[in-house]
Amino acid sequence: MTRPQNLSGWLKLVLPWLLFAALLLLPATGPSDNIIRLLFLTAVWTTTGLGWNLIGGMTGQVSFGFAVFFGLGAYTTALFMQYGHTPYFGFVGAAAAAMVASFFIGLPTFRLRGPYFVIATIGVTEAVRVIMNNLEITGGASGYRITENKPFNPLEHYYTAIAAVALAVLVSTIIANSKFGLALRAIKQDQDAAADLGVNPYTSKLWIHAIAAGLTGIAGGIYARRAAFFYPGDVFAFSTGISILLMPVIGGIGTVWGPVLGGVIFVIVEEQISVKFPNFHLLIYGSLLIIIILLEPDGLLGLLRRLFRLFPHQQAKTRLAGDPG
Amino acid sequence: MDAAEYLDLLLKALLLAGVYAAMAVGMTVVYGVMKIVNLAHAGFLMLGAYFSFELFNRFHVDPVLGAVTALPVFFLFGMLVHWVLVRWLPKSDTPTLASLLLMFGFWLVLQNLAYAKWGNDDQSIFTPLTLSAVHIGDTISIPKVNLVVFAAAVFCMIVLQIVFHRSWFGRSMRALIQNPYGAQIVGVDDQRTARLTFGLGTAFAGFAGALLGMLYSFSPDFGRPFLLRSFVIIVLGGLESVTGVALGAIVLAILETFSTVIPFPWYHQGWKTYYLPPSYQPVVPFVLLVVVLVIMPKGLAGLFNRKWKTA
Repeated sequence: MTRPQNLSGWLKLVLPWLLFAALLLLPATGPSDNIIRLLFLTAVWTTTGLGWNLIGGMTGQVSFGFAVFFGLGAYTTALFMQYGHTPYFGFVGAAAAAMVASFFIGLPTFRLRGPYFVIATIGVTEAVRVIMNNLEITGGASGYRITENKPFNPLEHYYTAIAAVALAVLVSTIIANSKFGLALRAIKQDQDAAADLGVNPYTSKLWIHAIAAGLTGIAGGIYARRAAFFYPGDVFAFSTGISILLMPVIGGIGTVWGPVLGGVIFVIVEEQISVKFPNFHLLIYGSLLIIIILLEPDGLLGLLRRLFRLFPHQQAKTRLAGDPG
Repeated sequence: MDAAEYLDLLLKALLLAGVYAAMAVGMTVVYGVMKIVNLAHAGFLMLGAYFSFELFNRFHVDPVLGAVTALPVFFLFGMLVHWVLVRWLPKSDTPTLASLLLMFGFWLVLQNLAYAKWGNDDQSIFTPLTLSAVHIGDTISIPKVNLVVFAAAVFCMIVLQIVFHRSWFGRSMRALIQNPYGAQIVGVDDQRTARLTFGLGTAFAGFAGALLGMLYSFSPDFGRPFLLRSFVIIVLGGLESVTGVALGAIVLAILETFSTVIPFPWYHQGWKTYYLPPSYQPVVPFVLLVVVLVIMPKGLAGLFNRKWKTA
């Protein structure tokens, strides 16, 4: 890594570590259980948002079907724990199951031009939810319960979620700064030009889809372990897929920190507004989506950048590699 | 099951295909001209159902007449939506991230405004037609409402075909579908045509939604399963052809109707023949979609074209 040239460069280097350290040390200051729960939820949803952002934001392939990976992660972890494995082994299984599922969607659709991938992702959530609602092994529509033979420890869940989100940020940063990430951005801008320069769009999309699915699967497992009870109408719901997609779009599509910002806002809105006005929060998200797409396609991060000009260096980079839309 | 029962199901499937075609055709023309996957289509379907529901409840307008009234109303509504939102999208040959998310956001807004207005309950439209049926022989009985809905849908499809092939608007639409740049060079006003096309697509969505509302009960989430079916139909039809839509609608309707009565072998404590449980029926469109994507990505028409070319 090169030495930062100016103050904002230094801030960019130092802030993530400060944030990470603050999150690790926070429990020592004795916060309320609710704060820990909110931060746990933020970490879990941010992990899924970061996963979606890899394929949707960086590569430009919109997926409405990430609820499938989230739900598969939840059920896989639950089944692993049911058969006496540690939950951490369950999370690995969750990632693997989600990655395998991602190939089922990607293999037929990434070969084709046009809207096929998007259509398939909508279809697959609907189909998987119907199947899971009827599957007897997992209790069908009435859901699945995880029983752990030890007392409930919110801090353990909290640290697991923080580890997951740190992993997601790390993976995103590594990919964003790698040759592979460059290839993905090239595919987003012009698939033909990328192919001419030696990028294989088909395999690149397949792999990034699998990585994104794996992260989402882990998040699903962590969520399920704390919730201890979940059902297909919850984890496999179409609206779960929507939530996962909204965070990066609201925060700033295609950037590493956009989904994190989006995740924080998402959980605040979800926990504060949706409790008071059910269904109202989706109206807000819909309007927000329209406004963001039409007025500020780079999301809140783009808005912040425009307001403060805090990161001139990064701005130049995203303009070079950003979405033409 | 004997032959008459199969014939009964076949007739029902064909009647359903008429509505399916009217439902998917709006999406096809919008995709063809603008290369936008119109996710808000589901919202327009839902609004169409509530439109005829409100007309029926407040002014006792016959639902079929209500569906026909939906055509001009939704045409204007669609043009407005295009003027306010859609025209700002950047043009592209393939569906862009921005267009998908914009139409999706608009669908969310429509859906949740409907929740605010009509609540979560399932609604349905009951007319004297709903419970009466036409009987042929002992086993074949076709509900009259299906016949009426089919007639209305086919009539509007025929009108659309005439507009498509015999008017200047239809000609410019076809030109834009075939080659957007070529069409602009020879003087097609693409913004105007896109606006009218979006209006047309919305009109057909509202119309089909009103017809579907006569057949099924509906809630603000009504459009979602039909959105997926519309996708399957237009993918089967090769995405951009109106004739393909009719073919795709017939294939989907027949497969859906027969999926639960065709036995298939399955291993569960020995090989036996099983029937698909009706609760799994919603999976059929998706399975069909994947099969079509793998075997014939250009749709049925593409398959035929390839066969004819090699022959």
